Amino acid sequence: MAEEVEEKKSFLDKFAEVSAKVGNQVHLRSLRDAFATMTPIYILAGIAVLINNVVFPLFLADDALKAAQYWGNAITLGTLNFSAIILAGLIGYCFARNKRFDNPIACVVVGIASLVIMMPQTVTATIDAKAGTTADISGAFLTSSTGTNGLFAAIIIGLIATTIFIKFSSIEKLKINLGEGVPPAVGDSFNVMTPMLITLSIMALVSALLFGLFSTNLLAIIAVAVTAPLKNIMNAGPLAVVIIYTFANLLFCLGIHQSTISGVLAEPILTVLIVDNMATFAAGGTIPVDHYMNMQIVNTFALIGGSGCTLMLLFDTFLFSKNETSRDIAKLSILPGIFNINEPVIYGYPIVYNLPLIIPFVVVPDLLIAATYGLTCIGLISPCVVMVPWTTPVLLSGWLATAGDFRAVIWQVIEIAASMAIYLPFMKISERAQAKQLENASEED
Amino acid sequence: MKIMLACNAGMSTSLLVQKMRKEAAAQGIDATIEANPLNKALEKIDGFDILMLGPQISYAKDDAVKAVDGKIPVVVIAMADYGRMNAKKIIADAIATINA
Repeated sequence: MAEEVEEKKSFLDKFAEVSAKVGNQVHLRSLRDAFATMTPIYILAGIAVLINNVVFPLFLADDALKAAQYWGNAITLGTLNFSAIILAGLIGYCFARNKRFDNPIACVVVGIASLVIMMPQTVTATIDAKAGTTADISGAFLTSSTGTNGLFAAIIIGLIATTIFIKFSSIEKLKINLGEGVPPAVGDSFNVMTPMLITLSIMALVSALLFGLFSTNLLAIIAVAVTAPLKNIMNAGPLAVVIIYTFANLLFCLGIHQSTISGVLAEPILTVLIVDNMATFAAGGTIPVDHYMNMQIVNTFALIGGSGCTLMLLFDTFLFSKNETSRDIAKLSILPGIFNINEPVIYGYPIVYNLPLIIPFVVVPDLLIAATYGLTCIGLISPCVVMVPWTTPVLLSGWLATAGDFRAVIWQVIEIAASMAIYLPFMKISERAQAKQLENASEED
Repeated sequence: MKIMLACNAGMSTSLLVQKMRKEAAAQGIDATIEANPLNKALEKIDGFDILMLGPQISYAKDDAVKAVDGKIPVVVIAMADYGRMNAKKIIADAIATINA
């Protein structure tokens, strides 16, 4: 018996260790950091999209509406439609910081320049759709390259380019020494000149070869070979997302933050999907079925009170628990819990290493992810079209994420009731186990 | 005494930081206490006496030790103390570690 327990423990430790290693891997960590830095502009875009498409139409029409919507469209242009460019710079910066490279700003330059180097040099414009005449225009960028469609290209190209750049920068012979007395900033800019020249030349060579040999470009290849398959996996039913969050939440039960797993495996692609939806919604289009699973399904509908939906455990505690310690910790946790921050619950209640509560902590979010996705598919709630901050309180978050669908709010009320029902028996078991432990402890004394 | 707290997004440590400031004031300890996401914490670490990590990022300890170059101690806050926001104990631990 004791051996078995030991074996289980070592398996869990191994799991925690491997996850931490993956989460700490420098490229993946840079990816997570870059997306986190990017979040505020997506939230801003979400607010603009809401105001433009939900608020303005309430009291404006025709030309006046169009004039007012110019404001929101301008924000969309600068955020959503330019996010690949911004991300390419951010990822260069984050990678440099995580590598402790001493010139991160140079990496921002390399990241952005490399992404643009890979873009098509001419864009095809339709002149007369009926006659089928088109013209190739140079000196133009497509928002499908610079915007949300280019995000994965930005990640991949940004990481490759800065990796090469940092490698070359470490070669002493490539540094141009201007001697003493030269201001450090000037010296720095000369130091990075040769490595930058080499890196960008390599990038341009790849771009030229792809165009010359295959008449294509790296962004198009990444869209087909990476982005499309990832989107498909996430939307082939809720299974992939459920599996990832099962492991992620299990990891939190061992004390390590769930974003170590989910922030790498799920969040980037789920974020791309919700950002796509924001752009589609802003342009007045219909959300395609393969975009029903996205970041908001998790953050709005399966993170009520934080990871594991622990807000409902707190409700159960207030209503049904007579355990003083539990009630104290619930009082301490309720206010942050409303804003979906729940470390006090996880470490204080505790959830960590507490088997009876680990079960609902993992199961409840899985059920809610699957059910919300299902309800979206059968049309009972609108697909999510707005990225709202994960700290938005429940009920408000559902209303905002679906751009004002009241059925989503009703669904969240049902979610709360159902999760309370699931948590309740496990809370009772946990309390009984704790009482027994106390008893045993006092007997031993 | 300057204490830097770091966690995943700087959210839950910001709860703790308020309690610790109150506790320090009550005990008459002259302390500057700040909470940040880990990356930002490492950027601003100069001049601090200790870096305390939330248990949810305990895996980042080795990396943080390297980042501060062994100049100041890096400790992971115990899970139970963190969950119960036991400011008194955490401050006592910080003082003991700094003076050790």
